[in-house]
Amino acid sequence: MTAVAGLQELFTRNLRQSGIYIAFVAIVGLFAILTNGMLLSPGNMTNIVLQYSYILILAIGMVIVIIGGHIDLSVGSVVALTGAVSAVVVIRAGQPWWVGILAALAVGLLVGAWQGFWVAYVGIPAFIVTLAGMLLFRGLTLQVLNNVSLSPFPPEYQRVAGGFLNGFLGGQGIDVFTLVIAAIAVVGYAVSQLRSRRGRIKYRQTVETMPLFVLRLVLVGAVVMAFAYQLARSRGLPIVLIILGVLVIAYTIVTTKTVFGRHVYAIGGNLSAAQLSGVKVKRINFWIFVNMGFLAAVAGVVYSSRSNGAQPAAGNMFELDAIAACFIGGASTTGGVGRVTGAMVGGLIMGVMSNGMQLMGVDQSVQQVIKGLVLLLAVAFDIFNKRRVGASR
Amino acid sequence: MTRVPLLSMRGISKHFGAVEAIAGVDLDVHAHEVVALVGDNGAGKSTLAKVISGVLSPDVGLIELDGVPVTISSPSVAHDLGIATVFQDLALCDNLDVSANLFLGREIRTAGMLDDGRMEEITRQILRDLTSRIPTARTKLSTLSAGQRQSVAIARTLIGNPRLVVLDEPTAALSVAQTAEVLTLIERLRDLGLGVILISHNMNDVRAVSDRIEVLRHGRNNGSFGATASYEAILAAITGATHYDVPAHDGWSTPR
Ligand SMILES: Nc1ncnc2c1ncn2[C@@H]1O[C@H](COP(=O)(O)OP(=O)(O)OP(=O)(O)O)[C@@H](O)[C@H]1O
Ligand SMILES: [Mg+2]
Repeated sequence: MTAVAGLQELFTRNLRQSGIYIAFVAIVGLFAILTNGMLLSPGNMTNIVLQYSYILILAIGMVIVIIGGHIDLSVGSVVALTGAVSAVVVIRAGQPWWVGILAALAVGLLVGAWQGFWVAYVGIPAFIVTLAGMLLFRGLTLQVLNNVSLSPFPPEYQRVAGGFLNGFLGGQGIDVFTLVIAAIAVVGYAVSQLRSRRGRIKYRQTVETMPLFVLRLVLVGAVVMAFAYQLARSRGLPIVLIILGVLVIAYTIVTTKTVFGRHVYAIGGNLSAAQLSGVKVKRINFWIFVNMGFLAAVAGVVYSSRSNGAQPAAGNMFELDAIAACFIGGASTTGGVGRVTGAMVGGLIMGVMSNGMQLMGVDQSVQQVIKGLVLLLAVAFDIFNKRRVGASR
Repeated sequence: MTRVPLLSMRGISKHFGAVEAIAGVDLDVHAHEVVALVGDNGAGKSTLAKVISGVLSPDVGLIELDGVPVTISSPSVAHDLGIATVFQDLALCDNLDVSANLFLGREIRTAGMLDDGRMEEITRQILRDLTSRIPTARTKLSTLSAGQRQSVAIARTLIGNPRLVVLDEPTAALSVAQTAEVLTLIERLRDLGLGVILISHNMNDVRAVSDRIEVLRHGRNNGSFGATASYEAILAAITGATHYDVPAHDGWSTPR
C-alpha cells in the first residue's frame, strides 16, 4: 500500500472516527486564532481540564448507556444528589472528607440500581425511567439540602477537583513530575498501539503503512507533551486529570476487552440476536445503569469539590452536555456504536468551544445556539454516513 | 427402533395468547440423522425450533436428551446441552465482526479478558472448513452479503462441539452455489455423528439431504416420510390434502 493509498484508506474507511479528531484539531486551531492564543495558554488549558472534567466523567458512563441502546436524562440530578449527600455528611455532620466521598458513591450505586431495576427487569424504556429520575433525584436533592446551599468543604475535599500533584521532582517554573507522567503515558500509548498493530499484522488485517503509523504516534505524542508542558508551566498535574485518565483507561478496557463490554455492544446492535445468543440482557442492562450511577456520583464528588459546596441547582443540564459529547464523539443514536475515546474527544470539542467562546466574550445565548447546531450537524453527519455505507452495499 | 434417540419430544404445545402455535407435537432425532421439518407458513416450525433451543419454554410436553428428561430453560442451557441453532431471523449483530458474532454469548476469556486472538484463530479455522468466502474474521457483519451472513450463522453452530444442530431455513436467501455449500455442510454434520433438524420450504433441498421428513400442519404432526417419499405425497401432507394420525412412534404413519 502506498502512502497516498494509506491516507485515502484512513480517511474513507474510518471517516467517522478520524473525522472527529480532525474536527477537534480544527476547532482548537480556530479558537486559538480567534482568542489570539489565549485558549492555549498554560492557565487556560489547566482551566479547561478542571472545568469540563465532570462532563467527561459523565460522558464515559453515558457512552456505555448509549451503546446499549438507552439514554440517561437523570445524570444532572444525580450529580446534584450525590454532591448534596456528600456535603451533608462532611459539612453538616462533620465527618472526614473521605466518608463524604464514600457516601456519595454509595448513593450513586443505589440510584443506578434503582433505575437499572426499572429498565432491565420491569422493561420500562430508559427514556421514561430516567426522565422520572431527573425529577425524582432533583426533588430528593432539595429535600436533603432543605432547599439551601451547603459550603464550604474542608481543604482535603477541595483538592479532589482543585488539587495538583507537582514539585515531587522539582524544576524551575516547569514541573518535571507532570512531564514525566505525560512521557510515561505517551510511551504506554505507543507500546499498546504497537502491540495491537503487531496483532493485526499477525492476523493479516490491514494496517496503516509504517511511516503513517509513526507519524500518528509522533503527532499524538507531540500534542500530549505540549499539553503537559503547558500544565507544567501552570500549576502542575491536576488530580482530577489523573482520576479522569484512570477512568478513561479502565473503561476503554471494559468496553473493548471484557465480555460485559462485548455484550453491551451486542444488545445495542441487535437486541433479539443478543437474547437468542444467550446474552443475559437483563443483567447487562441493570449493570449499565449501576455503572452510570457510579460515574455520576464520581462526577458529583468532583463537581461539589470544585464548587466547594452543594447547591440545589447543581448539575442542571449536565445530561445534555454528556449526551452531546457522546453523539459528537461518534456514538450512534440507534445504539451499538460508540467509543469511550470518541466521547472524550466529543466532550473536549464541546469544552473547547464553550471555553473559547467565553474567552471571546460571546453571549451565553449565542453559545447555546452554536452548541446546539454542532450537535445537530454531528448526528446528521452520522446519518449521512450510514446512508452512504448502506447505499454502497 | 431400539436405539435411544438423541432428542425425543412428546406432546409439546405452545400457545401465544389465543394462537396455538404448536399443539401436541412429537419429534425424534437420532445421532447421524438429518430430520427435515416441513410445513406451510405459520405451521409452527420456528416455534418448535425455539422450544428446542431454549428461547421458548413449552406449555406442556416432555423433552428427553439421550433418554434423560431435560428442561431447556434458556439458550445458554441449550448450548451447554450441546444444542446449537441457526434462527430464521438471523440472530447476528451487524455492528460486531464475524469472530465476535460466532462467539457471542460464549466468549473465550483469558485472565478475565476477552481473548480475541484465540477466538479469531478458531473463527478462521471454521471459516476455512466451511470454505466460505468471508474476507476475514474481523470483517463487520454490516458489510457482508445475505449468503455470507448465513455462512456466519451456520459457522456459529460449530462453536463448542454441538450434538444437535437446528437450522431454521438456512438456504432461504442463498444462491444456488451457496445452497449447495450449505447442503454439503449439513451432510458433513451428519457424518460427524450429529443430529440435524433442517427446517425448509425447499423440497429439493429437503429431499437431497434428509433421512426423514416430518410434516407439521396447523401446529400438529401431519405425517412422517422417508427420503424416497414422492414429492406429491409430502406436498399433500403439507397442504392438508391428506390427514395423518398422530404418528406411531416406531415407524411411518399411514394415511387415514
Ligand atoms: N412471539 C409470538 N407471538 C405471537 N404469535 C406468534 C409468535 N411466534 C409465532 N407466533 C404464531 O405462531 C404460529 C406459528 O409460527 P411459526 O413462526 O412457528 O411458523 P413457521 O412454521 O416457522 O412459519 P414460516 O414458514 O413462515 O417461518 C403463527 O401463527 C405465528 O403467528
Ligand atoms: Mg419459521
